[in-house]
Amino acid sequence: MQKLKIMTKQPYFVTAVPGITVLRGLLLTAVLLIPALALGQAVNPLDSSPRAAAAGGSLFRAQCATCHGADARGIAGIQAPDLTQLWSQPGQSDSAVFQTIRNGIPGSIMPPHAFTDTETWMLVTYLKSLGPADSMASYGGDRGRGARLFDKNCSGCHLLNGSGGALGPDLTGIATRRSRQSLVTSIREPGAVLVRGYRPVTLVTRDNLRIDGTIKSEDAFSIQIMDRKQSLRGFRKKDLARLHYPDRSLMPEFNQATLNDSELEDLLSYLAGQ
Amino acid sequence: MNKSIDRIYRKQQILFVLFALMAGQSGAQQQGPTYEDILQGFADPQRWLTYSGDYSGKRHSPLEQITPANVGQLRPIWTFQTGTTTRGRGFETTPLVDNGVLYVTGSNNYAWAIDARSGRAFWQYRRNLPDDLTYGSSAPVNRGFGMLGNQLFMVTLDAHLLAFDRRNGEILWDVQLADYRVGYAATLAPLVIDDKVIVGISGGEYATRGFIDAYDPGTGERIWRFNTIPGPGEPGSETWPDDPEVLARGGGGTWMNGSYDPDLNLIYWGVGNPNPDYFGDLRPGDNLYSNSLVALDADTGELRWHYQFTPHDLNDWDSNHMPVLADIQWRGLPRKVVMVGNRNGFFYVLDRATGDLLLGEPFTATSWARELDAQGRPIVLNDGSEGCVPDPWGSTNFMPPSFYPGLDLFILTARETCATYVPEEPRYVPGQASFGGVVFIDGEQGYGALRALDVHSGDLAWEFTYPSPTFGGVMTTASGLVFAGDHEGNFMAFDVNTGENLWHYQTGSRIWGAAPITFMLDGRQIVMIPSGTTLTAFALPEH
Repeated sequence: MQKLKIMTKQPYFVTAVPGITVLRGLLLTAVLLIPALALGQAVNPLDSSPRAAAAGGSLFRAQCATCHGADARGIAGIQAPDLTQLWSQPGQSDSAVFQTIRNGIPGSIMPPHAFTDTETWMLVTYLKSLGPADSMASYGGDRGRGARLFDKNCSGCHLLNGSGGALGPDLTGIATRRSRQSLVTSIREPGAVLVRGYRPVTLVTRDNLRIDGTIKSEDAFSIQIMDRKQSLRGFRKKDLARLHYPDRSLMPEFNQATLNDSELEDLLSYLAGQ
Repeated sequence: MNKSIDRIYRKQQILFVLFALMAGQSGAQQQGPTYEDILQGFADPQRWLTYSGDYSGKRHSPLEQITPANVGQLRPIWTFQTGTTTRGRGFETTPLVDNGVLYVTGSNNYAWAIDARSGRAFWQYRRNLPDDLTYGSSAPVNRGFGMLGNQLFMVTLDAHLLAFDRRNGEILWDVQLADYRVGYAATLAPLVIDDKVIVGISGGEYATRGFIDAYDPGTGERIWRFNTIPGPGEPGSETWPDDPEVLARGGGGTWMNGSYDPDLNLIYWGVGNPNPDYFGDLRPGDNLYSNSLVALDADTGELRWHYQFTPHDLNDWDSNHMPVLADIQWRGLPRKVVMVGNRNGFFYVLDRATGDLLLGEPFTATSWARELDAQGRPIVLNDGSEGCVPDPWGSTNFMPPSFYPGLDLFILTARETCATYVPEEPRYVPGQASFGGVVFIDGEQGYGALRALDVHSGDLAWEFTYPSPTFGGVMTTASGLVFAGDHEGNFMAFDVNTGENLWHYQTGSRIWGAAPITFMLDGRQIVMIPSGTTLTAFALPEH
């Protein structure tokens, strides 16, 4: 009897009495929507659907890739961000991403889009599928030991929760954005992947001063780096004797001798616990 | 024999120094400017560490490489573009400079660290702003960073205060100043003094209540708050009706940077209009501390003295101006003064220790009032309802002026306009503006001017007129130059003695409220003024 009460509140039930299966489907929608609407958020009706993700991917490549890159990781020189990290941002939701696609971001180069609701949810579902597969991996080490290891080996160059160095990337929430394997690789073989914004360079000035750093920006006539003392420095190339782009990261390699497997697990547990 | 030993010793000294320098290369990280560095103001010519360059607000640089004789050769060396839209107002910021890096805030809460040698960015910040901004959506601007150590501080259009790591633009902490949905936003450049970040708030066109806050730079905890509109029963409340609702929406925004006297330990800050702007019937009384200059104890935020420029404002003549502090001879005796060019058309000199009024003279043709009475109150002749008084944007506005010591000239951007005000009781809806009437502005009659005032009399020493009422700010340099911007996009240099124009460059966008800065880099003096969506650096040709 309660079910009938809910149904009769919907205006489109007034004239017709639909079949039972349709009623059940609509009831389910009503039950899903009412609490969600009460929270002011729409629910993604295509959540986790592989077909929706695939369709969203096609739409993405046709409509979004010009700015965000075919792999959604952003394009150097365009201010459109890497979208593979969207859900690692605090307070993120499918509904918020939907709104951003629909309304754009005022004052930026992200325009509003007149896709249908279904198309927009497909895009949301596709973007959600791009996050790391095992972002919920569990780590079995000792967080306390991991904290000490981090302070000793990492915090000089990496920010974590607002404190630490700036030579390497901010590691706050890193375990929600990167797979276990990629984190291990970054620690054991830091040179394996050199990320934009942290590519190494060695400059030699006309006074024979050698400066190592990471490249923040570069054009034909100038280069902007962060040096080992974590200062931002800009140079005109005509003031330099030599520029050299090493293959090795500025980050030291942590092999078994300097960080054994048990210590590595402790460190990863600490990073994941943040 | 002795000579060769001397030579060997000297070589050893040189080697030792070189070694020390090399060791320094791989040694300690740069810590960024301390409070003592900011206190020294322009002593290090490679830096511009706070909104006005130093705490006095004079915006007067000691640099002399660019002179009246060679300024005509100034040329652009690079241009930076923001890539964001501006809704007609564009850059209002003052860049901060340290160690060859510019720290710049822009429209829509974008911000950058930019290489001062090439104009290329090290990093960019963009805030995910809510899409239901109130005051912040009509004026999506920002006037600059504050800096301390390796931290930058910026306020936002959704009324937050952020701390950044200046090396990579990452947020260190984020605190809410007020609820933007009521009508608040924040746009000013924070003032950083010893262990305090001091900020104000915007919202005087909405049913809001203004304040000046001090925050701990390390944690973002609030240390003190000064309410510009008193609460019921508090000092100043006798200048309002006895109605908490009226007080709660009293206005009094504090949306510009302030000045600081470290010896007196006083902060000087301008306060904005009472709300509603044009309709005064429901707020009889002087409405303290709206349209005032307040002097606060820097440690506690307590009010030491105030001076109200425009009691019971009906014309939206906020007093959010840079207070300019100077130590000058006044009537034959040394005096510590604070000077303000006010939106109401008057130029004021006050004793900054006591608040005593020393001078108050009009610097425009305003018919609103022509003199102050013996108590320092304006004798109002025409409140605007009878036509042709300065428009709501006023005889000057927040664009910084400059003081030229020695010549004792106060140089500001003046606006001559003609407006009629028609008040009407507004509806008060949180999140909606409540101006309380309309203003009819006669567009044919307006013009602008760069004016140099003799501070001892308020008399005009010289002026350079602009075709329209303008918003550009002013800077002076010790070589005898005045730099300014105008409404048609010109960045200009003038002779401080005569006002003769010596150089100009068309930046392509009206210059709104931004003022010039200058600094040394690789032995060259750079000057610049942010304009619209661009920032261009100028210098003399390299030899």
